Amino acid sequence: MPEAVIDLRAVGVRLGDTPILRNLHLRVAAGEAIGLIGANGSGKTTLLRLLATLLAPTDGEGAVLGVSLRSPERFAVRPRIGLIGHTPGLYPQLTLEENLAFIARIAGISAAAVHEVLDGVGLGLARHRRAAACSHGMQRRGEFARVMLTRPDLLLLDEAHAGLDPQAAELVAHLVNGARRRGGAAVVVSHEPGRISPLVDRFVELQAGAIAEPGTGRP
Amino acid sequence: MTGLWRQAWEVARKDLRTELRTGEVLMITVPFGAAALMLIPLAIGVDAPLLERVGPGMYWSVVLLFGVLVTVRQSAADGPAQMDLLTLLGLDPAARFAGRAGASTLLLLVFEAVLAPIALALYGNDPRGWWWVLAVLPLVALGLGLLGTLAGAIAASVASTTLVPLIVVPLSVPMLLAAAQVTEGIRVGATIFGWLLLLVVMDLLLAVAGVLSARPLQEATR
Amino acid sequence: MRRKVWLDVAAGALLAGALAAALAVPPERNMGDLARIMFVHVPAAWLAYLAFAVTLVGSVAYLATSRMKWDRLAAGSAEVGVYFNGLTVALGMIWGKSTWGVWWTWDARLVLTAIMFFVYLGYLGLRRGIADPVARARRSAWLGVLGAVQIPIVHFSVVWWRGLHQPPSVIRPGGVQMDTEFRLALAIAVLAFTALYAALLRRHMENALAEEALAARLASEEVEVAGAAITAPRYGEVD
Repeated sequence: MPEAVIDLRAVGVRLGDTPILRNLHLRVAAGEAIGLIGANGSGKTTLLRLLATLLAPTDGEGAVLGVSLRSPERFAVRPRIGLIGHTPGLYPQLTLEENLAFIARIAGISAAAVHEVLDGVGLGLARHRRAAACSHGMQRRGEFARVMLTRPDLLLLDEAHAGLDPQAAELVAHLVNGARRRGGAAVVVSHEPGRISPLVDRFVELQAGAIAEPGTGRP
Repeated sequence: MTGLWRQAWEVARKDLRTELRTGEVLMITVPFGAAALMLIPLAIGVDAPLLERVGPGMYWSVVLLFGVLVTVRQSAADGPAQMDLLTLLGLDPAARFAGRAGASTLLLLVFEAVLAPIALALYGNDPRGWWWVLAVLPLVALGLGLLGTLAGAIAASVASTTLVPLIVVPLSVPMLLAAAQVTEGIRVGATIFGWLLLLVVMDLLLAVAGVLSARPLQEATR
Repeated sequence: MRRKVWLDVAAGALLAGALAAALAVPPERNMGDLARIMFVHVPAAWLAYLAFAVTLVGSVAYLATSRMKWDRLAAGSAEVGVYFNGLTVALGMIWGKSTWGVWWTWDARLVLTAIMFFVYLGYLGLRRGIADPVARARRSAWLGVLGAVQIPIVHFSVVWWRGLHQPPSVIRPGGVQMDTEFRLALAIAVLAFTALYAALLRRHMENALAEEALAARLASEEVEVAGAAITAPRYGEVD
């Protein structure tokens, strides 16, 4: 595991002509968890997708898990990254169990663990329910189960606590600590800094696409 | 290589399972195609010899025009969240292409198989001796499945239900001609081997194009 | 930006020369003055195919190098090509109506040109729908390659198909007696239209380059990021 799990230097991202992120410097060490905060539209989701190697930087240099965000090696590092975004990525017509079994087989993981992780997130009794018939909170738990299955080294959580009851919220802590224990890192986006403050080592604030010193409002 | 095929198989299985649950092809696209076959005689006249003459051609036209809808079916579309998930799981884009094209091909075969007796009945054709058409059905299904999936990958989210048919239809002309000429050739006892070969060549080219373009198209986000 | 005009001037001069030559040629034996349509139809057809080939070259080059100038070439050529393609089909229909009394014939070349027109439209439709220049360049490059690889197969299949059917007695390609004067005028017309294509293509590419330069200037530090458009709500004003 490289010392810095995330290493961004003067990174900028433009979509078409529109700049979304600019001049970002960010370093996250192994075993660290950071909270990412910022107003709507400040670029948090874009930053998460950049860290997930789903977007390439248009300016600057960045590396995640020791691999440059511009190099073809980033394809190989993707299975070590776990991203839970705004919208659940489950297939609506498949049951929770089928969704996870599909994911396990694509990832080359034994499908035997599927039952275990579904029980682990409290969805054991709902495993035969189609994802479309599950509430948003249940689908989120399903995503947590997915992450428990794949055990990523870099965990990226967008709106971590959205739609979760207090029991499920504990799962977030479990996932973040799991990534830390494995020597990886976690980036947790939330609009409720108070809620994630026990989970993270420090906060990073995005203001209009650039990193502000937390609490000062200055880039 | 086995890993690629395994992943492709999983994707195809997932697509087919979804289709079984939503029934989009069987309950909607097939009846739509059957309705089209029914509409044509209403428009051109129910003269029996005329219909017998145009029957096979009408069948292949409907297969191609409406078959495209099978490849862009909503139930198989991957939304942005699913795309991100598949990408991060390390699903080989070529496997995703192969799986999707495979599932579409199978569904297109079903589409062809259900519409064929309907066309035979409506247009009064006698299929005895038309064994070679059985070879054409899977070749056309495969070609259309490959072409539709490839066009879908190129168009991505750009109005795919309207743009993909526009892209597919002109490029599917050789398939249409070959299928129609094989049927016609059987009827009059002319040679059909060349047309079958054309279908095979086209399918091969499309498969290669789909596999080669899979990763570059996946990485061309937005 | 000073625009070099020599290509435009040359194209204009050649077009004038072609027009003069086309009018100077005596009326054709069989078709009379109608044969003069050939002086536009044949070059337009040649250019439709040339433009398509250039789009292929641009597409392949873009995929190999990822340099935007190849994308500009491919797209510019497609835009110019679609006009010449449409012109070819329209003139072919007028020719057919006047000569054989029918607006459309299933002549292999006419069918193929019409099919190509739809392929171009699909290509331009795809480009219209994608905002991000890199994604647009890459996707349309793949479509450019796919279209170009399939077109020979389409051509082959249509020619073969036509060859199997009893050719209608009046339809022969051209159908025009070409003596030396006619050939010369036709050659000048082809040259003139090629110069016109080159001039139009260059203008297209210059415009595309200017648009990209403008976009790059707008995307520099002075411009606000997207997130700056979102401000804190002001409740007093809402209620």
